[in-house]
Amino acid sequence: MSRIRLYLSNDTSSCAAGTERLVEAWRKRSDVELVRTSSRGAFFLEPMVERESPEGRLAWCRVTADDLPKILAGEGGIPVSAIPFLSMQTRHTFATFGVTEPLSVEAYQAQGGLAGLRAAQAMSPPAIILELKASRLRGRGGAAFPVWKKWDVAATEEADRKYVVANADEGDAGTYCDRMIMEGDPFRLIEGMLICARAIGAGAGYIYCRQEYPAARATVQAAIRAAGEAGWLESGGKPFVIEVVSGAGSYVCGEETALLESLEGRRGVVRARPPHPAQSGLYGKPTIVSNVLTFATVPNILARGGSWHASMGTEGSRGTAVLQLGGRVRQPGLIEVPFGLTLREVLDQFGQGMADGARLKAVQVGGPLGSLFTDAQLDIPICFDAFAKAEAILGHGGIVVFDDETDMLELSRHLMAFVADESCGKCVPCRIGSLRAREILDTIQRGRATAADLSLLTELGDTMKATSLCGLGARAPYPVLSALEHFPMEFHSRLQR
Amino acid sequence: MLALKRYAVKTALPNGLDNLLAHARPSHGDPPNILRILHAVCEVYGYIDPQFIPAIAQSQGVTEADVAGVLSYYPSLYTQPAGRHRIQVCLGESCLANRCDRVVEAIQSALGIPLGQTTPDGRFTLEPVSCVGNCALSPSVRIDGALQGRVRPGDVPRLLDRYR
Repeated sequence: MSRIRLYLSNDTSSCAAGTERLVEAWRKRSDVELVRTSSRGAFFLEPMVERESPEGRLAWCRVTADDLPKILAGEGGIPVSAIPFLSMQTRHTFATFGVTEPLSVEAYQAQGGLAGLRAAQAMSPPAIILELKASRLRGRGGAAFPVWKKWDVAATEEADRKYVVANADEGDAGTYCDRMIMEGDPFRLIEGMLICARAIGAGAGYIYCRQEYPAARATVQAAIRAAGEAGWLESGGKPFVIEVVSGAGSYVCGEETALLESLEGRRGVVRARPPHPAQSGLYGKPTIVSNVLTFATVPNILARGGSWHASMGTEGSRGTAVLQLGGRVRQPGLIEVPFGLTLREVLDQFGQGMADGARLKAVQVGGPLGSLFTDAQLDIPICFDAFAKAEAILGHGGIVVFDDETDMLELSRHLMAFVADESCGKCVPCRIGSLRAREILDTIQRGRATAADLSLLTELGDTMKATSLCGLGARAPYPVLSALEHFPMEFHSRLQR
Repeated sequence: MLALKRYAVKTALPNGLDNLLAHARPSHGDPPNILRILHAVCEVYGYIDPQFIPAIAQSQGVTEADVAGVLSYYPSLYTQPAGRHRIQVCLGESCLANRCDRVVEAIQSALGIPLGQTTPDGRFTLEPVSCVGNCALSPSVRIDGALQGRVRPGDVPRLLDRYR
């Protein structure tokens, strides 16, 4: 009897949703073969089980172990292509998610993997950088700096050693796309790093992975071994060694210079710039530090051409936005769409509104340092320029929806306490400012504050914005001050009379 | 240097730490990497006893202040032994939006300890974590590395029972 092949995601979130329980229940059966894949990112449907059919993959959603007879009989499955959450997306970086087997070099190549690296190997390093310039790719970690400019600086620097560092310290709460890439398609990250290594002439790479992602770290380590065995890890005729280094729970180590300090084994304290890491980074050598998603976007650009990438999105934001929807929405999950959709469109079309009867109060975009949006502000297009104009950030694409039960003062205090905890301590505005701001918010909560304290909070926020050394201190006031602006009564009503 | 010597505590190193430190010594010319050695110690013993700071500093050719500085900076470098089971409750924004505070309350009252503490019988350590990247399945709780999503306060007794 031939065994029926079932596909289940190996992603941490899918496993937490119950995939692991299904595997445990079914793995000893002689009539099924279980294949572990990456996740499609439609987490509201997990645990999801798929099987092949003449019309493509069929999916069974929110499966329990008792559903197996139904699945084996082929009853009740829906075509994956008919799931609107997925079919409405424009997937490029995440195109093969749900299909690829994370550690299979054959499966990766069968899905078009390595085409970007092969194209890059046929090009000169300056030509690779020109292709990236044509693509108009901007860094996806939060700073949105043009990628080609960084690469160009590092390529022109004269040095005996250069490094490529992938920032896998995905600390923004509400984001998980880097984790999905590392767990589901790690070769794409490695391929992007190899292309960068060739472009700038680097001999070694590091992946700085946050400690909270043990499965991602293990998968990437295994992928590096597999890539080495397949002979992929070389650049310019020399071996290109990639090492995975674990963080230790510090949020600010996602800031590129703090990350480099941490890679060197020290306290993750931010460095003053200039010099920028592309000139003087790890151990003082030219270093490209880019986010995992940025590296994972690069292979397609080389394979399909810079102009292909530049043909998508808006004027200042080319390509696709990778958004991660969470909080009180009906359909949380990963969304890849061209830049330019409005925040409201994303929440309505993909999120399908609020979870069970909850009412929207505020939306935070871009992690704990991102501004808060009210319902009236949701028509903002998702692109770097519109967000910059609104003094907001897209950050790493995290979108968290809060409902009307949310206490905005408590949320503000929570966010400021987070910054006070995570501040590296190098600059005074962030180290002292975040602590004082948290204390003021504490005082308001205890009913002991006056209107003068609120003005002081605003003034303190303005100082932190203007004078902090890095984005942590400079962005920390935004969510708090936007909460104060949009929900003033929640603060004023608790002042001392 | 004299003062340092006077106060340096001579402690017997636990089995294996000597060996580990000798192996972790940077090879000729390579800069010492304190975080890496502390990770290694933490992995073997579950925590880093501050008593071993002098030995660690000596093995790496750095000052005790360097080691103490790194040790105090990173939240995941534990300086105290944990309970037999480590419970991490995610306090990220998506979990907050999905009422993780109620899950925290349920765990706290089930165990009788606040966040950051270990139960008197040494069975559970309860700690906050800022985000585990499971935001589409909030609220999240991780026990001994096993991640649970969509946790409701009512799920807590059943979750903890598995580790009793």
